[in-house]
Amino acid sequence: MLDNLIQNFINGVMLGAIYTLIALGLSIIFGVMNIVNFAHGDFVMVAMYATFWISTGLGWDPVATPLITIPLLFLIGVLAYYLLIHRTLRRNYVTQIAVTVGLMVFLRSITQVLFQARPRTITQSIIQGTLNLGPYTFTMTRLASAIVAVVFIVAIYLFLAKSWAGWAIRAASDDLDSASLLGINPTKTYALSFGLGSALTAVGGALLITFQQVDPTMGMRFGLLSWAILALAGLGSIPGLLISGTIVGVVESLTAAYWDPRARSLTVYLLFILILWIKPKGLFGRK
Amino acid sequence: MLKKISTPKNLLLLGIILFTLVLPLVIGSNQYVLVLTTTVILFGVMATSWNLIGGLGGQLDLAAGAYLGLGAFTTGTLLTRWNITPWVGMPLSGLVAAGVAALIGAPLFRFRVRGVWYALSSSALVQVLYTAFMMWSSVGGPMDQYLPRYDASFYYLRYNTYAPYYYILLMLLYIALYLNYYIRGTRLGFQLMALGESEEAAEVLGVNARNSKLKALMIYAYLVGVTGGVYTCLFGYYHPRFFDSNMSTEVAILGIVGGLGIPYGPLLAAAVLVRGRELLRANLGTVVERSSMAVYAVILVVIALFRPSGLAVLAGDIYRAIRLRFAKDTYVKSADSAGD
Repeated sequence: MLDNLIQNFINGVMLGAIYTLIALGLSIIFGVMNIVNFAHGDFVMVAMYATFWISTGLGWDPVATPLITIPLLFLIGVLAYYLLIHRTLRRNYVTQIAVTVGLMVFLRSITQVLFQARPRTITQSIIQGTLNLGPYTFTMTRLASAIVAVVFIVAIYLFLAKSWAGWAIRAASDDLDSASLLGINPTKTYALSFGLGSALTAVGGALLITFQQVDPTMGMRFGLLSWAILALAGLGSIPGLLISGTIVGVVESLTAAYWDPRARSLTVYLLFILILWIKPKGLFGRK
Repeated sequence: MLKKISTPKNLLLLGIILFTLVLPLVIGSNQYVLVLTTTVILFGVMATSWNLIGGLGGQLDLAAGAYLGLGAFTTGTLLTRWNITPWVGMPLSGLVAAGVAALIGAPLFRFRVRGVWYALSSSALVQVLYTAFMMWSSVGGPMDQYLPRYDASFYYLRYNTYAPYYYILLMLLYIALYLNYYIRGTRLGFQLMALGESEEAAEVLGVNARNSKLKALMIYAYLVGVTGGVYTCLFGYYHPRFFDSNMSTEVAILGIVGGLGIPYGPLLAAAVLVRGRELLRANLGTVVERSSMAVYAVILVVIALFRPSGLAVLAGDIYRAIRLRFAKDTYVKSADSAGD
C-alpha cells in the first residue's frame, strides 16, 4: 500500500519535471513580457508532431530530434512574435487573447492538414526498459525525460541569472522603460524571450512523446496545465515553478491511481480554480 | 409622431425584423441554407449575450460552452427521464446555468480574479464540466443520449424541419439584443461600462464590482442555458462534448471582433464569420481537407490586429461613408449630430 503510494508519487514527480519545463516557457513569455499566450499548449503539440515527423520520416532516434526541433520551434516563436505578438504589445490583453487564439486555431488546423486527426506515437527510442530500485520501478523513458527536463530548467535558470541576454530579459521584465534607456533593445529582447519560451516546448514535446501519443487537440490540455502551474507558483521564481510543477504532476498521478484516470485533469483544474480564489499571487509569487 | 417613428433607422429595423420572420418561408425548401442561418443565429444569441459580461463588463468569459452544456443536459435529462416538455425544460436550463454561474462567479469576483486569470478559470470550468459529465454515468456518461423522435411534436419540441428552432433562437436573439440595448441605459449598464474601462476607478467611485459582474454573468448564463435547451432539441441528443472549449472561445472571439460592447457587434460578427466559416468549409474543405479552419484563423487574426475596434465600427464607418456620398449635406449633418 505504502509502496504503491510512493511509486505513484515518484511517477508524478517525474511527470512534474516535464510539466515544469513547459510551464517555464510560458513563464518567460507571460512573466517577462506580460503577453497572454493562449497558444502555448499548441506549441507543445506542434513540437510533438515535429518530433514524430523527424523520428519517423528521417529515421532519427527521438533522443536526437531536439537538434532540429529546438531551432525549429525557436524560429516559429520568433516568427510569431514579429508577425503577431509585436503588434499587440501596447494593446489590451483582449486583443492578445484574440490573436493567440487565432494562432492556436491555425496551428491546430495546419497539423490536422499535415498529419490527419488520428493520434500518433513514435517508435522505440534507444532509451527503453525499466530500472528497478528496491520495490520501485522507474520507466526509463520517464526517468530520462525527467532528468533532461531538470537539466534544461537549471540551464535556463543559469542563463537568466548569469548571461547578458538573461540579464536583459530580467531587466525588461522588471522595468521595460529603464531597461531600454540602459541600451537594451526591447524588440530583440522580447523576440528572444518569445523564441526561448517556444523553444522550451520543443524539449518538452520531445520528452512527452517518448511515453504518450499526440493528437491535434491536445494543445488545450497542456496550455491550461501550464497556466495552472504558473498560477500555483506565481511569477518570477523558477524554483517555485519546479515545486508547483511537481505538485501538479503528483496530483495528476495520484488522481489517476486512486480515483479515476479520466479525472486527472479534473483535479488539476479544480486546484487551479481554487488557487485563484485563495492565493491569486501564487505560492511563491515575487510580483 | 408618425414622422418621429418612421426614421430611416427604425424603418431599417422594421425591415430587418420582417425579413428575419419571413426568411424560413422563403428558403424553407432548402434545409441547408436554413440550418446555416440557424447556426448563425445560435452563435449570434450566445455572442450577443456574452457581450453583456464580456463587452460591457470587460470580463473575458470563455465558458459559454459550460452554460450551453448545462442547459442541454437539463432539458435533455428532464425530457428523457421524466418526460417533461422542453417548454418547461428550457427556462429551467437557464436557471441551472445561471445558478452554476453564480456559484462559480461569486467566489471568483469576491477574490478579485480578473483579466487573463478570469478567462483561464472560465476556460478550465468548461473542461471540468466536460470531464465531470463524462464520468457521471447516471446522466449518460460518455454515451449519446437520444431524445424521442417525432416528425412534428410540439410537446417534445421535435420537428423534421429547422424552422421551429430557427424561430425560437430568433426570439432569444431579439431578447438578447433588447437586453444589450436596455441594460446600457440602466444603472447596471453604467456600472458595467465603468468596470469595463477600469475596475479600480469604478470601485473608487462606489461601484459594487462583485454584484454588477455577477448580475451580468447570470443574465448571460441564463440566456446561454436556454439556448442549450434549444440546442439539444435541435440536434436530438446530448453528450458531454457539448461542453466545448472551442465553441466557448469562438463565442468570445465573435464578441471581440464584432466590437466589444456594441449591441449588434457580435451578431454582425456571427453573420459574417460563422457564415464565412461554413462557406470555407464547404468550398475549401474539398480542395485541401481540413484547411478551412486555418484560413478562418488567419481572417480572425487579421481583423483582431488591424480592426481592433471591431466589425461593427467598420460597418458603421462604411454606412456613414455611403450616406455622406448619397445624401444631402444638411440632412447628413443633422442626422449625424443627432444620431451618433
